[in-house]
Amino acid sequence: MIWIIAWKNIWRNKVRSLVVVMAIAFGLLGGVFSSAVLKGTGDQRVREGVSRETSHLQIHKPAFAEDNDVRYVIDGDRKTLVAVLDTIKFIEAWSPRVKFMAMAGSANAGTGVMVMGIDPEKERRVTDIHSLICDSCGSWFKEGKGMQVVVGQALAKKLKVHLNSKIILTFQDMQGNLTGGAFRICGIYRTSNSVFDEMNIFVNRTDITPLLAADIGACHEIAIRLKDAGMTDRVQQTIRKLFPSILIQNWKEIDPLLGMMNDFMDLWLYLFMGIILLALGFGIINTMLMAILERTRELGMLAAIGMNKQKIFSLIMLESVFLSLTGGIIGIIMGVLLTLYTNHTGINLGSLTEGFEKIGYNPILYPSLNIIYFINLTLMVVATGILASVYPARRALKLHPAEAIRNE
Amino acid sequence: MSIITIEDLKKSYRDSEVAVKALNGINLTFDQGEFAAIVGPSGSGKTTLLNMVGGLDKPDSGSILIGEVDVAKLNSRKLIDFRLHNIGFVFQSYNLIPVLTAFENVEFIMNLQGVKREKRQKRAVELLEAVGLGERIHSRPSKLSGGQQQRVAVARALASRPRFILADEPTANLDSVSTRNLLDIMEKLNHEEKITFIFSTHDKRVVDKAHRVIVLEDGIVVKDEKVKI
Repeated sequence: MIWIIAWKNIWRNKVRSLVVVMAIAFGLLGGVFSSAVLKGTGDQRVREGVSRETSHLQIHKPAFAEDNDVRYVIDGDRKTLVAVLDTIKFIEAWSPRVKFMAMAGSANAGTGVMVMGIDPEKERRVTDIHSLICDSCGSWFKEGKGMQVVVGQALAKKLKVHLNSKIILTFQDMQGNLTGGAFRICGIYRTSNSVFDEMNIFVNRTDITPLLAADIGACHEIAIRLKDAGMTDRVQQTIRKLFPSILIQNWKEIDPLLGMMNDFMDLWLYLFMGIILLALGFGIINTMLMAILERTRELGMLAAIGMNKQKIFSLIMLESVFLSLTGGIIGIIMGVLLTLYTNHTGINLGSLTEGFEKIGYNPILYPSLNIIYFINLTLMVVATGILASVYPARRALKLHPAEAIRNE
Repeated sequence: MSIITIEDLKKSYRDSEVAVKALNGINLTFDQGEFAAIVGPSGSGKTTLLNMVGGLDKPDSGSILIGEVDVAKLNSRKLIDFRLHNIGFVFQSYNLIPVLTAFENVEFIMNLQGVKREKRQKRAVELLEAVGLGERIHSRPSKLSGGQQQRVAVARALASRPRFILADEPTANLDSVSTRNLLDIMEKLNHEEKITFIFSTHDKRVVDKAHRVIVLEDGIVVKDEKVKI
């Protein structure tokens, strides 16, 4: 019965309660949507970073990770290593890479680049660069077309080259001799990270290993894509146990900034909502204090007829929780609807495209939040209601029934 | 048999720097089934005495035995529970819960006592019928007249099956018709159900109906007489 009284009590002063409910609702709408934009942007960056740049796991010779010297190819029994990778059921695909720094030059300009010598078919199963070549920008590698290179749009622009242009790559081979080759651009890709596009070029590993004076089959890096990202640590441990002399790193270790974004995003979102709820909590306290002041006589009567302190406290607390929850649920529903809509349509930050791409972010944002966040947010709203009721309820409990009954 | 025994009850308040003696040695006993009015001028100690007997305030000294229990010695928690099960209250300003119907107001106190739903609903209807509000059980207080609200308050006070009912100036806000109706109902309950009523009042109409009149002046009993009916 206390629940019914509490619910009815909050509608005694409809205007006042509605003002608080709307303040909570719009506060949470803003909070939920901002969180969804942040989370969606962060998740998108992590997703794209993993699928284009780091993959889930990478294998290197430990020394290579320290100074990227072209001599540090993965040695030992490579055949056993790749045979084991084929047997691990959580691995979707793996791609061996020759990876080194080079100077890329065109007739117009030159710049330093990271050359990725890849097996085109294996690479397309690990990263999605092949899918980021537009129809008019060529294609991923084709057999029998000579020495091909796939470059990023930003690099093409910098070198002032276009599809089918030739660029010269100059680099050191494994003996330290300066060498190089001319490669024809067969495709120009574009990710949402212009820095990556300007830096990374892809060539066929079979074309580049002779120039490097390396063995056929030599590689500096094996990138691994998993069927389920949640299995990253488990697969990493398995490979580490089997091949203790190689370095196997997960995507968080390869790109700590990406890992930090993933790990701290949730914490940040809860902190952000916590601050919003704290502000709303003061509004609830104020409303409850006014309600108690207006109902001094009634509260005195309740104490006089035998309603104990726990029940009076519960009554005030329930009113506060109902008030918070009503506004909270309306706000969360509005936030969910807005998130779902914008997740479907995307938010195109057209004028900010260049800036976003320079820091590696997609200028089209897709807000998103998971169900756990909404469950936790609802619990946080209830907790706010409970905490906001403590001070008003204590004031109510301090009332002296005999005096309160006579209050005008 | 006495249900309330008050011995040498004293209470003083501090008004600014001056101590005001509200009760200055009250000795009274009330028997089961009494219909008693406590009268006296403003400041004579009527409400203070009722608050002490009702366990809403603590005396400075003296004792108030209700049955075997000295309410002056109960701690706050026990006192609330004692009030819930032993004392019915009727207040000058009705003090009903405005968001509940008449029926729910009466039912509420039994809910606090932990009475089962079916039982309390049956009793709430019976009590509202007994005070002549059988047709208005689903009305909220704001839809009832002052007299009707006070009758709901009487039904609520009776709902907990108290040993006695304390009524602090119950007719102060009522017109003469409502006052007569209310007094008739309370007198009937007293006569038929042997419910004990103790009023504090200024109202001559209440005094005229009372079977015992206690006059207080300056915190002491100056007159205590039983009226032959």
